[in-house]
Amino acid sequence: MGRFWRLAGVILLALVGLLALAQEEVDPFEEAQKQKQQLLELSGGILPTDLIAAQGEELFKAKRGPKNASLEACDFGRGPGRLEGVVGRLPRYFFDTRKVEDLDSRIRSCMINLQGLRPDQIRRNEVVAIAFYIASLSNGQPMTVRPLMPQEKRLYELGEKLFYLRAGPRDMGCASCHVTYVGRRAGVLPYSDILGDKRVASHWPAFRYSNDQAWTMADRIRACYSNLSMPAPDFYSEPIIALTLFMNAKAYGGKMDLPGFIR
Amino acid sequence: MKGRHYIGLLALLLAGLTLSQGSPFQQRLQQAIQSGGSKFAEAMKQDPDQALCSQYRDKIPAALVGAFLERQRALIKYPADGKLMGDWKQGEALFTNPRKGNCYACHTGDPKEPGAGTMGPGLVNYGQRGTSEAVVKYTYDKIYNAWASMPCSLMYRAGYHGILTPEETAHVTAFLLDPASPVNAKR
Repeated sequence: MGRFWRLAGVILLALVGLLALAQEEVDPFEEAQKQKQQLLELSGGILPTDLIAAQGEELFKAKRGPKNASLEACDFGRGPGRLEGVVGRLPRYFFDTRKVEDLDSRIRSCMINLQGLRPDQIRRNEVVAIAFYIASLSNGQPMTVRPLMPQEKRLYELGEKLFYLRAGPRDMGCASCHVTYVGRRAGVLPYSDILGDKRVASHWPAFRYSNDQAWTMADRIRACYSNLSMPAPDFYSEPIIALTLFMNAKAYGGKMDLPGFIR
Repeated sequence: MKGRHYIGLLALLLAGLTLSQGSPFQQRLQQAIQSGGSKFAEAMKQDPDQALCSQYRDKIPAALVGAFLERQRALIKYPADGKLMGDWKQGEALFTNPRKGNCYACHTGDPKEPGAGTMGPGLVNYGQRGTSEAVVKYTYDKIYNAWASMPCSLMYRAGYHGILTPEETAHVTAFLLDPASPVNAKR
């Protein structure tokens, strides 16, 4: 064999090797897309998120609670009953509750105020299912959270502060992984670039195919604190809403991919 | 003259009062954290140097570095028997235990251990530095309190937080430095 062919062989091998190396670090978004396609083919076109959203729709429209009312009159920021695109506008300030509320806490407020349920009667899995239903009506819409009201501005500032706050026995905070060390891995998992990639905040609530969980942003934030060996903030509490407001405002203009389908 | 003194004194008093109560922003932050639940609020209480690292987003001003390092160095405790190199086998278990050192989440130690993270530098062949007193002490100190050599390093302060005892810190030191440890195996 001539020298030329030997050289060509070496180059080809090197190219194949490079390709293999490049493929080792898979893009989590592409990987999730692939998994979604596989699941769609296996199930004949139905995703787990569709089932959760359908369950949520049923809960949303059912007359329940002491007031025997549905949630159809709930105002998510575009007026009672208008659900299209609302997820990309939350969290925001609501005059009736005089609070900045995210998707989860707004659903809860309506269950309390419209249906007359007591806070302890509100089941988390129902709130999540309803969140998935509402999210399914915001798919493809833009993220347009912009803190303008003083209450929103204040909470945004708190969210930013919390995002960079290092505490606890592991001396860490959100930014340690999601800003400072973006691109690295802890264990096998790569960190999402929360402040740099608008897709990250724009896919909640989401289904996590790796462990079969339906999560809203609140679940994600709580799990992050647990990963840092810290007790999670309560559901519907200010730290969760503040962090969500900060992250969503940073994702302004992002296109919502809802309900999300992620690892 | 006297009037001015009074005004000065009043200003000083007011300043003291505001400082002791924290700024309105700090108060709101504390209220928000409290609303997350008492356990969460307890865990979010910062020590002064965690607060500094948060305030300056890990890049504290040069003028504060000296005192910061000195405060952190003063926190390092050593085993009663003075031995900073323990048993590498116990060190290996602590290195990979997620509830203890959890070191491999960020550092490769034994390259055969799967799933090591890349947040920190790889430590394969760390022992090529030898086991001189200086190297052993540097390694021990780094594991016990990473902030004593690099302010606001991502690496958490395992000994300071009591996640590793001084004796356990010595075991992890041995896992990195002992020539018999898989970290330093001939490859």
